[in-house]
Parts: sequence; C-alpha cells; structure tokens
Amino acid sequence: MKESLMDILCCPVDKHDLELTVETKDDEEIIEGELTCTECGEAYPIEDGIPNLLPPDMRDEAAA
Amino acid sequence: MSEESESSSTPTDSEERAAGDVQAVYDRIADHFASTRAYAWPEVESFVTAIADHEGLDRGLDLGCGNGRHTELLAEHGADAISVDVSRGLLSAAATRQRDHGFAADLVQGDAATLPFADDTFGQIVYVATLHHLRPESTRRESLAELGRVLQPGGLALISAWSTAHDRFDAETAFDTTVEWTLPGGETVDRYYHIYDPEAFRAALNAVDAIEPLVVTVSSGNCYAIVTTADSDATPITWPVESIL
Repeated sequence: MKESLMDILCCPVDKHDLELTVETKDDEEIIEGELTCTECGEAYPIEDGIPNLLPPDMRDEAAA
Repeated sequence: MSEESESSSTPTDSEERAAGDVQAVYDRIADHFASTRAYAWPEVESFVTAIADHEGLDRGLDLGCGNGRHTELLAEHGADAISVDVSRGLLSAAATRQRDHGFAADLVQGDAATLPFADDTFGQIVYVATLHHLRPESTRRESLAELGRVLQPGGLALISAWSTAHDRFDAETAFDTTVEWTLPGGETVDRYYHIYDPEAFRAALNAVDAIEPLVVTVSSGNCYAIVTTADSDATPITWPVESIL
C-alpha cells in the first residue's frame, strides 16, 4: 500500500485515525507493517502490500 | 455446464452476523470466480462514462470489488481508484488484473458494513452485486449508511442487487436463498443471497437517512439505484442522472 492512503483510512470500528508502522518497504510500496488505531489501540496488519482493515471479530473468524 | 444453480435449502435471515461466510466462500472460489468475470457490466459502464463526460471522476471506490473489473473502469476514466473486498482471494485476483491490465488502484481488505474510511472521502462509489450477500437485514442497512457516510456531499453511488425480476426466480417478493457455485472439479460451494423485489429495494434505500435515491430501476435482472448524500444541497448535481440507467 502507498503511504498516501493514510489520508483516507481510519479504524473500521471507531473511525479514529490510524498510526502507520512500516516493517518492509519496496520503493514507495509498503509491503509489511501495521496500522494501529490512535483511540482504541487495535492493530491491523499490512500483508503482501494489502492492509487488512476487517473489524477484529471478522479477522479472528477468518483465522480460525 | 451452469456455474450457478439454486440450492434446495433456504437459509433464514438469521440475526447472527454472517459476513465471515461470504469471506470464506469467496476465498474458496476466488480464482475460478475471477476467471469467469472478465468484463464490466454495461450499467456500471454507463454510470462511470456519464460522470466522466459531465463532471469527471475524482476519488472512486469499488466496494465489493471482486476481481477488480469495475475498479479498472473507474481508473480508466480518470478516478483515483480504491478497491475493497472482504475476501483476500478476490483481492489477490484484483492485484493480478491490475498488473496484467496496467491500471493503478489501492487495494484494501474490509467489510462493507464497517468501512475503514474517513467521512466524505469518495466522489464516486460503485457498490455492485455485493449488498445481497450481507445478512441479516440490519447489516445491509448499516452498509448503506456507511456508504452514505464515506460519500462526499453531492457525490454519486451506483448500487445493485439481484432482483426477483431475474428470469431464474419465480417469487415476486424478496426472499433469502443460497446459490451454488460449481468449481471445475465439480465441487459446489453455497453462497447466501437476499433477493430483492424492486419495491423492497427502494424501501431499503429510503430507510437509510444518509443516502438519497435519485433513480431506482431494474435492468438485466438486477435492481439498480443511483444515490447521493442526504445533504447534497451543498453541491447540486448539474446534469440529469436519470438518463444513465
């Protein structure tokens, strides 16, 4: 994902701003990292360049 | 061989939130599904080209993007395109299409009823063949309210859902069903659908304060609507959207 996407993304649950942590970057593309809600603290993973912003209950369901 | 056949079992519109089912189903059939969905729907093409001809596109959302065929349409017509889907498998298919066809779009995994976007983000939204997969009814309503929240004042969204008007259905009023997807090996996967009758579709849109329907119609067995925000007085649409559908 591109960093410019941060301008429009928010926490799906409470709609507050997210904080970006980059783990791996390829040129301008963030490949691995994390988006953390500045309000509720929920962390959303960025995997293979795609942020997973499903609400926590749906994310857990998928992993199960 | 038909890829889709209606199952004999009729699910109830349970109170349990069931978007996880949609996710699991489409993750399972993603590659085959994507390979059978090559072209944009004509109704979506009319919507996108009409906006391109009039006011132009700015930031466009393809909500329930599937393999990204309508994201491509938005990007081709000048939108800063964002694709959202609940299924990781379908997003991978969309990423492949993006590489193969050479268009730019940002991909986000998300739920149509809990959108991860700030208010008033999108000038255009395409929400096609997705609403009918959500259940229960309250989730479909939340999803329409979320669409209204992220749509810019005066922005336009195209919404479609499967209709009782389709040849394959006998019922005249809205109902819940499952439709089988047959994988190449013969294995079948059930997908939940809420099939709208045109009046129920109109009522569902009218029940949501955040959106205002401008046109509601039936085309190719689907209910379609073009909606704007309830507070669209801020930026009135200066051309006739009725002509699109």
